[in-house]
Amino acid sequence: MARYFFNIRHKPGPDGVADDIDGDEIADIGQVREHALGVARDLIARTRLDSIANWFDCAFEITDEQGHPVMTVPFTDIVPDEKDDAPVGAE
Amino acid sequence: MAQIQQSDIRNILLRKLSPQDFALLAPHLEPISTQLREDMVTANRPVAECYFPESGITSVVASHDGREIEIGLIGREGMVGAVPVLLGNDRTPHTSFTQMAGESLGIATPALLDAVGRSESLRLLLLRYVQTHVTQVGQTAFAQGALGLESRLARWLLMCHDRVDGDEILLTHEFLSTMLGVQRAGVTLALQNLEGAGRIRSRRKRIQILDRERLHALTNGAYGVPEAEYERLIGKA
Repeated sequence: MARYFFNIRHKPGPDGVADDIDGDEIADIGQVREHALGVARDLIARTRLDSIANWFDCAFEITDEQGHPVMTVPFTDIVPDEKDDAPVGAE
Repeated sequence: MAQIQQSDIRNILLRKLSPQDFALLAPHLEPISTQLREDMVTANRPVAECYFPESGITSVVASHDGREIEIGLIGREGMVGAVPVLLGNDRTPHTSFTQMAGESLGIATPALLDAVGRSESLRLLLLRYVQTHVTQVGQTAFAQGALGLESRLARWLLMCHDRVDGDEILLTHEFLSTMLGVQRAGVTLALQNLEGAGRIRSRRKRIQILDRERLHALTNGAYGVPEAEYERLIGKA
């Protein structure tokens, strides 16, 4: 188990990140991205913040316990990539 | 043990009682300390004892399948167990637990009911408190449906601030996220927004209230309605 911090980038600039001060225990690094997407989906579906006009402008900037960047997960990643073999009728 | 004097009481309901009504309760009041996360009323179990908080805060929560959301707060203005017991029931589906440790005056439910049966004015005052609490729960529903998270958080902070001494509220983001029923990341964003505007100062396990007026302005009516009902029905808190 390691602790990862899911900081949210919501606008450009030094004030544009909300630091996650508690962090979450994640069993292995392969699950970090899925965890971030789960939180993003729940925020998009259920939470309205006056200060966030569009959740899809946000991204998780995930750091480890040493404060080093681990990965960035944009909220837009909850939408699966369009595939070439899209079903008939899809744009 | 010496009997408790009404002039030493901090619980506002007990302070507002006539000396005669207070004398009916006083022999049965027992000082206790409440511990963090301790159930004061457990869902669907008989309410054996009611509590008049002297300090600290109790959360009333609705829960299902491991998710719980706070629907009401009780501090020194109120009585824990009031809703089921005064409305003639012995239990409720909603748990009440200690959110902020403190002191409380406990009374066995049969002793409370006996006193209430002897005095119409005591019963009426406690029922008026029930009305203010029901109003508070209704405003929580309004806030949940009508307001963004910053406003709901502002309301919650004001309600806690009303029930503590000083300007600091001790709690974690994790706890706030459970109580407000949102992801911790949402709480963190909302706190940053309130802090950026100078309304609060947010630290790891505590929040300091800096500007009540501007927090209130954010709540769009969600804060203030039950508080005004309390003042109308019971008196100034």
